[in-house]
Amino acid sequence: MNEEQKTMALQVGVTVLILLAAMTIGEYFIGLFAPYWWAPLMAIALLKAFYIVRDYMHIGRVFAGDEAEEHS
Amino acid sequence: MSTGTLSIADYHKKTVTNRLGLWLFIVSDAFVFAGLFIARFYLYGAGVRPELSQIVGLIVTSILVLSSFFANRGEVSMAYGDTKGYFRNTLITIILGIAFLIGVVGVEWQIAPYGPDHDALWSLFYTMTGFHAFHVLTGVIFLVIVYRNARKGLYTAERHFPVEAAAVYWHFVDVVWVFFYPALYLIGLPPI
Repeated sequence: MNEEQKTMALQVGVTVLILLAAMTIGEYFIGLFAPYWWAPLMAIALLKAFYIVRDYMHIGRVFAGDEAEEHS
Repeated sequence: MSTGTLSIADYHKKTVTNRLGLWLFIVSDAFVFAGLFIARFYLYGAGVRPELSQIVGLIVTSILVLSSFFANRGEVSMAYGDTKGYFRNTLITIILGIAFLIGVVGVEWQIAPYGPDHDALWSLFYTMTGFHAFHVLTGVIFLVIVYRNARKGLYTAERHFPVEAAAVYWHFVDVVWVFFYPALYLIGLPPI
């Protein structure tokens, strides 16, 4: 069970990495061919920040209090 | 009182408070970066950016994103009692952090066509990247200290808040770069 939870937690990390990599490549090409599209570039940055703050920084633990001590 | 003498329940209660303090620090630090980010657009809008190497920008950004991935793996490993996994992943994070510093300060700063005294845009570029690089450096130092303490056996699956704090700080540095990368490298064109 513990090993299963660990695998799931690591899998979330992999999924976020794939998303971040795809968005980084996407914004690189937007910057290359459409450098004045500041709004989509900022939207991508916000989305990337959202995934990092939620899944890597585990912001939910701050609001969950004691219960968050479980391996989240 | 040392945290080693606390019961698991007390340690967890203490962690809740420590975590709140960590996030309070991160939010206050974020305001400084937000000020620099806003200054860049206030002064030059979305039409102009510094003349920088797009490839170097992409490489250093990828390095930092990858380092966040390994920092997360290290923290998860420690949370599940896999200390070997923690050591391996944290070491990779530290190496990637140093590679990022070399990429920005050792490469980008050296090949940049102007110095910080050229105009406000370049002054801002060096301030933003320099201030961020300083945070990366302190993040690397923080990771090394926690790594050394882990080697001494100070952390377990139940008691490892410093491991979490180092990882959260590292991810924060990554989040800052997520906004600095488009602001400095992608939005607008270099002035003619």
